[in-house]
Amino acid sequence: MQQQLAQLVATARQESASVTTRAELEAFKARVVGPHGSLTQVMKGMATLSKEDRPVVGKLINEAKKAVEEILAALLQKVEDAEIASALSAPLDPTLPSPDAPAGNLHPLSRTRERILNSFRKLGFTVAEGPEVETEWYCFDALNTPGDHPARDMQDTLYLPKTFRSADAPRRQEEAMLLRTHTSSVQVRTMLSRRPPFRIVAPGRCFRRDAVDATHSANFHQVEGLWIDRGVTLADLRGVLDFFVKETFGADAEIRLRPSFFPFTEPSFEMDLRSPNLGRLSNRWLEIMGCGLVDPKVLELCGLDPQEWSGLAFGLGLERIAMLVHGIDDIRHFYQNDVRFLRQFA
Amino acid sequence: MKISFQALSRHVDLQGITSAQLGDVLPMLGLEVEAVHTFGLAPLPSVVVGEIVSFEKHPKADRLSVCQVNVGEATLRQIVCGAKNFKAGDRVPVALPGTVMPGGFEIKVSKLREVDSAGMMCSSEELGLGKGEDGLLILTPQQPAIGTPLNKLFGTPDTVLEISVTPNRGDCLGLRGVARDVAAALGRSLLPQKVQTPSGSVATPSAQDAVQFVRSTTPICPYYTLRTLTDVKVGPSPDWLRRDLEAAGLRPINNVVDITNWVLLETGQPLHAFDAQKVQGGIEVRTARAGETLTLLDGKTVTLDSSVCVIADAQRPLVVAGVMGGADSGVTAPTTTILLEAAWFQPGEIRRSAKRLGVSTDSSHRFARDVDPAGVELASRLATDLLVAHAGAKVVGPAVAVGKPPRAEVKITLSAGYVAGKLGTEVSDDEVTQTLRRLGFTVQAVAGGLEVIVPSFRSDVLRPIDLVEEFIRIHGTDKVPVGRPRAPLPGEEDATSAIFIREVSQRLVGAGFTECFHYSLRTTAELERTLGTVGAAALALENPLTADQTHIRASLVPGLAGALAANVSVHADPRGLFEVGTVFRPQADGTVKEFLAIAVAQLASPITRSWQTRPDFDSLQAKRLLQDIAGLAGVAEHRLSYATLEGGLWQTSHAATMQDRGRVAEGAFGTLSLRWTRELGLKGAVVAAEILLPRSAFKDARKMARFEAFSSFPPSTKDVAVIVPQTVSAGEVETRVRQAATKAAGKEFGLEAVICFDVFKGPGLPPETKSLAFEIHWRHASRTLTDEETNQALNAVITALEKGAGWTVRR
Repeated sequence: MQQQLAQLVATARQESASVTTRAELEAFKARVVGPHGSLTQVMKGMATLSKEDRPVVGKLINEAKKAVEEILAALLQKVEDAEIASALSAPLDPTLPSPDAPAGNLHPLSRTRERILNSFRKLGFTVAEGPEVETEWYCFDALNTPGDHPARDMQDTLYLPKTFRSADAPRRQEEAMLLRTHTSSVQVRTMLSRRPPFRIVAPGRCFRRDAVDATHSANFHQVEGLWIDRGVTLADLRGVLDFFVKETFGADAEIRLRPSFFPFTEPSFEMDLRSPNLGRLSNRWLEIMGCGLVDPKVLELCGLDPQEWSGLAFGLGLERIAMLVHGIDDIRHFYQNDVRFLRQFA
Repeated sequence: MKISFQALSRHVDLQGITSAQLGDVLPMLGLEVEAVHTFGLAPLPSVVVGEIVSFEKHPKADRLSVCQVNVGEATLRQIVCGAKNFKAGDRVPVALPGTVMPGGFEIKVSKLREVDSAGMMCSSEELGLGKGEDGLLILTPQQPAIGTPLNKLFGTPDTVLEISVTPNRGDCLGLRGVARDVAAALGRSLLPQKVQTPSGSVATPSAQDAVQFVRSTTPICPYYTLRTLTDVKVGPSPDWLRRDLEAAGLRPINNVVDITNWVLLETGQPLHAFDAQKVQGGIEVRTARAGETLTLLDGKTVTLDSSVCVIADAQRPLVVAGVMGGADSGVTAPTTTILLEAAWFQPGEIRRSAKRLGVSTDSSHRFARDVDPAGVELASRLATDLLVAHAGAKVVGPAVAVGKPPRAEVKITLSAGYVAGKLGTEVSDDEVTQTLRRLGFTVQAVAGGLEVIVPSFRSDVLRPIDLVEEFIRIHGTDKVPVGRPRAPLPGEEDATSAIFIREVSQRLVGAGFTECFHYSLRTTAELERTLGTVGAAALALENPLTADQTHIRASLVPGLAGALAANVSVHADPRGLFEVGTVFRPQADGTVKEFLAIAVAQLASPITRSWQTRPDFDSLQAKRLLQDIAGLAGVAEHRLSYATLEGGLWQTSHAATMQDRGRVAEGAFGTLSLRWTRELGLKGAVVAAEILLPRSAFKDARKMARFEAFSSFPPSTKDVAVIVPQTVSAGEVETRVRQAATKAAGKEFGLEAVICFDVFKGPGLPPETKSLAFEIHWRHASRTLTDEETNQALNAVITALEKGAGWTVRR
């Protein structure tokens, strides 16, 4: 019996070597452990054995069965490996380039805008928006810049014809329609539509009747800031701007407030920046933005009581900041959309 | 305005202050310094007077001369020179080796075309004295001693600071005003102005006056003064006066005109001098009569109307008031008697006149920014002093003055601590008082604060807040503390549109698109292609600057198509491009509406080759992007409908519009007009998509999504293939299948999805038909569906499609 079992296992081991497919495996399995399989036959013979012989033979059969199962398990592994191998293509060459295009990227002006908005968000300024086509009232009059004010000389404005009616910026009276010259018009719209206190930043596109050259563009972008609250002071203004500049240009950047004039702020300042990390523009004062305390007349025109409310406002040029941060020397790059430019700032 | 350091020193003691320090002080007062120049000869100790003893032609260069020059040394110097305007014996400036010229160029001993040259003879321009005659600066007439340092012949150089004056600071359009600010900032006193001519005026001309009447009949001129000066000898001005004018960038003309200009520079008050002989009868300030003409100083003849104020005699207008003099009433060489005008005009009216005539003069610029009414007489007296001293003029009597200097006294009450409250830091009322006084304000402590009287030259200061600016300008903005940010306000969030822009941009960047920014102003041709002629006209600008920027944009797609072409032309692979921005569209009601637009464009097949190719970018990929973007904007996919579109930017029958039922979003996607993209220089097709969202789409803050439970049991799926005419759209069939499948599920279970998995045209089908196959997913919330249930449902769908729609279902 012992010999017979040993022979059986040896035969199975021998035959297993030639099994390569799952079908062959199944056939082999049937030959050994199937209902008519060689091992099954032997096990059936157990019944004829005497009580004394059974434990001895049973032990032998179990050993043979275990050996056969091991053979089958190994075969299954081998067959599955072969199947998986055939389901795969050629081995991976990890050094081959992916044929897919890489992720795209934001325009440098968008990136700069988002960085700036993020800085101000930390100070509680949230984004507000307004229309690009405005009426003269929102762009000038409400900002304390009446028709014969010399300050209107400072901005050369693009107008739309008298017949033009905007669905988003209806006229208040018969005032002219124009392409906004600054985002300060969003100040007006915000003051008219929201109850203070609030702190907003308004990023947006503005227009001037300028010929395009290295530093001028018919359209450009500003980020406007407005904080209306009780008791807003120049110290608050300096605090906000100092925070912004250090966020954008690093902790060693400094600011100064240089007295200036805007019809909608009083007192008014140009904020200058000085930083050691601006390449050839390092260590000198650079004009960055206009700012000041909101003129009481503007508060009044926008329906706020200047006795109760006060505010600070500022407006910076996105292109200017992006050019300084990235060392870009020509504003036209932003609008030419050469991908060799656009992809440098990813 | 050009400020001469030396001229400014006459008004404020600048002892110990360098021009560089002044250049640092002025900007912090609000007077921005735009440029700094040296006026006169800069210190050049090694430039000396030399005499050209002899010269001969350079042996190797026709244009050069080899000169022997005596500069007072033991031997003559040989200097090669390119100028032609000298003769032997001429004295000229010689820069000795080692001199660094004003342009930064260092003079060295050298060889010029093989001939030794030990120095350089200089032209006026090379010495930084401005463009003089061509060639060398010839000093022969003055006969300066040979070897004299040139600086001994020229006075001390001056520094001229070019400042820009903001529109509110009319007072700083004269040196006196600038000096007042500088004195206040430096804590020094303003030096007194000396005037000999006595103050005082009479209301009507006397017999000695050269006019019979002086009157103003217009409120534009509430105050007009005129002074007769006789025995005037017109001639050149003294050197110091010419120097002051030249330093300020003005050209000397004759003593009378120069004196009026000099006083304008000093005080900011424009003056005008008439030749009395050319004035008939008297002077009247009046509005012009329609049709009157006047030839101005610049030679232009203008036709006037009642919008312009003129100074006229009994016959005709002589001057456009406050703007420009006439050509034939001014002072010329034969003039002997002059009428000196000093007046005050309404600033807004002068601004309008100047604009109407399209001119801006030193005079109109100042009147438009408001001159000091109290300074009118002083300016007239200063000019009279000078005319007496330098033009031999005789004063016949006091000036004739009509009207009164306008402007009531402005008194501002500053409540205690007001300034400190605006600054956000402690400053005492005493500090405020001292500072404002330095600027010429009269300040008095009163109960509860300060009473401030504004000087007449500061018409821009009217309110307490204006005084805060005055205070901080002088006190120094560096003393404003850096405030600690206050805590944010709760419940504040960015505008929904701003959040959307951020999300949509990130989404497209992740999908491989690169963001572009294009100009909003576009060409007529582009707008006509986008909207047609009528639509384009609605978006035209009133006053475009250039022919290629005449309209506001209606679509972002043309910009992107142009960028694809531009990049391809420089062999840069653009891959996918996108833009987010505002576009404008005319509406049926005649208004123009602003939309937030998001557009993408990509070449259907990439220009860069790859070892393994990916399928082309196609219209349905573009559609997917649009659906996702609409979803981000809160427009659900099932609300969108599509229709093919024709012409314009798009290729007919290869592009479609997309619209949502609530008309919140609209869009288009597909292949761009091949004719157009080929014109742009692109060989292959361009696939693009654009969605427009109105402002109203972003009114509301976004709602938080609420959780909905889902089934944990498996779905049952069935396939159905429908044969339909080729004209029937897939969307129509899918809608039918969806409706039927929903109805078939009834209330017991639910339809989960209808997926189109096969579109087939060709053999085995009736002609002009196509087969569309759909997989239908049903699912029960709380159990597994039985075969019987799903088979029944499928049969119901088949019946609905065959009986209801009249289509054939493939079995």
